[in-house]
Amino acid sequence: MLLKLAWRNIWRNKRRSLITLAAVVFAAVMAIAMRGIQLGTYALNIRSVVELFSGYLQIQEKNYLDNPSLTSSFIIDSKILDALKSTKGVVDYAPRIYADGLISYKDNSRGAAIFGIEPEKEKNVTTFVQNINSGKFFTSDSSNQIVVGDQLLKNLDAKVGDEIVLLAQGYDGTLGNQKFKIVGTVKFGVQELESALIFMGLKSAQSLLAMGSKVNVVAIKADDLNHLEEINDQLSSKIRNSNIKILSWDKINPELEQAIQLDNVSGIFFLGILIVIVAFGILNTVLMSVIERFREFGVVLAIGMPQVTLTYLVYIETMLITFIGLVAGNIFGYAINYYFILHPIILGEELKKLYEIYHFLPQLKSTLQVSIFFNVSLSILAISLASCFYPAYKVYKLEPLKGIRHT
Amino acid sequence: MEILKAENLVKIYQDNGVPVNALMDINLTISKGEYVVIAGPSGSGKTTLLNLLGALDKPTKGKVYFETENITLKEKKELSKIRLHKLGFIFQAYNLIPVLTAIENIEFSMMLLGIPDKVRKEKALELMDELGIKELANKRPNEMSGGQQQRVAVARAIVNNPSLVLADEPTANLDSVTAGHLLDLMEQMNSEKNITFIFSSHDKQVIDRAKRLIILKDGRIENQ
Ligand SMILES: Nc1ncnc2c1ncn2[C@@H]1O[C@H](COP(=O)(O)OP(=O)(O)OP(=O)(O)O)[C@@H](O)[C@H]1O
Ligand SMILES: [Mg+2]
Repeated sequence: MLLKLAWRNIWRNKRRSLITLAAVVFAAVMAIAMRGIQLGTYALNIRSVVELFSGYLQIQEKNYLDNPSLTSSFIIDSKILDALKSTKGVVDYAPRIYADGLISYKDNSRGAAIFGIEPEKEKNVTTFVQNINSGKFFTSDSSNQIVVGDQLLKNLDAKVGDEIVLLAQGYDGTLGNQKFKIVGTVKFGVQELESALIFMGLKSAQSLLAMGSKVNVVAIKADDLNHLEEINDQLSSKIRNSNIKILSWDKINPELEQAIQLDNVSGIFFLGILIVIVAFGILNTVLMSVIERFREFGVVLAIGMPQVTLTYLVYIETMLITFIGLVAGNIFGYAINYYFILHPIILGEELKKLYEIYHFLPQLKSTLQVSIFFNVSLSILAISLASCFYPAYKVYKLEPLKGIRHT
Repeated sequence: MEILKAENLVKIYQDNGVPVNALMDINLTISKGEYVVIAGPSGSGKTTLLNLLGALDKPTKGKVYFETENITLKEKKELSKIRLHKLGFIFQAYNLIPVLTAIENIEFSMMLLGIPDKVRKEKALELMDELGIKELANKRPNEMSGGQQQRVAVARAIVNNPSLVLADEPTANLDSVTAGHLLDLMEQMNSEKNITFIFSSHDKQVIDRAKRLIILKDGRIENQ
């Protein structure tokens, strides 16, 4: 009966209830759409960035992150292999070596960041092998062929097809020294990186650097950004090796993670403002609806309705409106987010250039991530409960006689 | 059997810091089954007295005993319980909940007592039948005349079988014929169900039909 009473009370002042309802729907739709585009675009860009080079996850020797050097290396034993093969969500993986060295062509010498990779494996994990700028990529078993950063080639004054000499200190401390042929160049858009970058076959790198079968990193592609924690847990428990760490993209690319966090905070802040505005709207309408009914409330209090029950009624009324608003808001929000998944917003030229520098796709895309709907609904519900507090308190303190006399 | 007793009741209101002596030293005993009208000019303290007797307000001095219990010392919550279980109220106007139909308004009192849905309906219908207002069952207050509304209010006031019904000028907004019907109804409930009625009025018809008359003047009982 209370529910019936609340329901009818809502429709007594249709206009006011509809305004409240509209405010809830508006807040829910705005929040869901905004969060959708924000989180959807983050995911898009995270994927774009991690798929370019780092991978979703990496297996590293435990010191490698802080001190990326040859000595921070490990052997991919059968345990690791089994773990990679048996863990659900691992699409593929690619082993890598990293070392510093010196590259010389004629009279020019430059510092080099040498990566030993297996292009055939990388193709399933990352995209940079396909993004060759000029020439071609070597194959995994080819020896003495390298691909260099576009800027490095220019700095050396060399061309694709030229032979260079690489000098690097090996794992055992001896100085390795070998001739390689430049077969192609890559371009990432990051000058600093491109002026030092060298790719060579994993085996070539292992022999140049006297690494045996050791590697520094295994990059992993996962099927979904949302599965990383699970994959990480599974791999860790299967491998159980204290010399090895499994890191997800946010640890490997802390700058990206920080940029997203910063943007995310500003997004949440904006939502906070939106929700506070709606809260004041609700507070205002509920307060009005309550004060208008003081006489009526006085009568029901006089005939013995418990104060708490009456307060409860005020809450039910607001919760009903909020609930309807949230259902509608979620449906509209879902539709909008779905639309922006099918039809991402393509950014204009200027933004596009900026985005491309960071390897972000020049798109704004949405997501249907359940947590968005859940969090938005919960926040609005909480704020609506909170904004009911003051009017409800007034009702709780109302004396029957004060109510009856109220005009 | 005595149902209500007022002992040296004094009520002083503060009107912007100015004390208003609304009731001065009221002593009164009312027995079960009485039909009492409190009369007196405007401002004589009728409403104030009814509020004190009906556990809606507390006296400045003195005591009110309801069924031999001193209710002046009780908490708000307990008073609310007494009103719900033992008392019925009829006000001058705005008695009914506007969004509920007549029968729902009557059920409302029973709902507060936790009486199950089905029993409520049956009992409400039965009572409406008895009071001759069955045809109003599904009407909302704004679809009823003032007299019809007051009759529904009577039904709501007595449906939980209270020992005492208090009514503050229940006929004030009614024409004399309608008021007469309402009085018939209350007299009927008084004699048939032995419900004690106390009401205030300055309506001559009401005063003429009183079985016991208490006349207030300037906060004192004049005819004692
Ligand atoms: N809440 C209040 N605050 C201050 N003074 C009050 C209050 N209620 C009543 N009074 C004063 O107390 C006196 C008695 O008022 P009361 O309402 O009891 O009279 P009444 O007999 O019911 O009058 P009426 O016939 O007009 O309803 C009046 O002087 C009134 O002005
Ligand atoms: Mg009065």
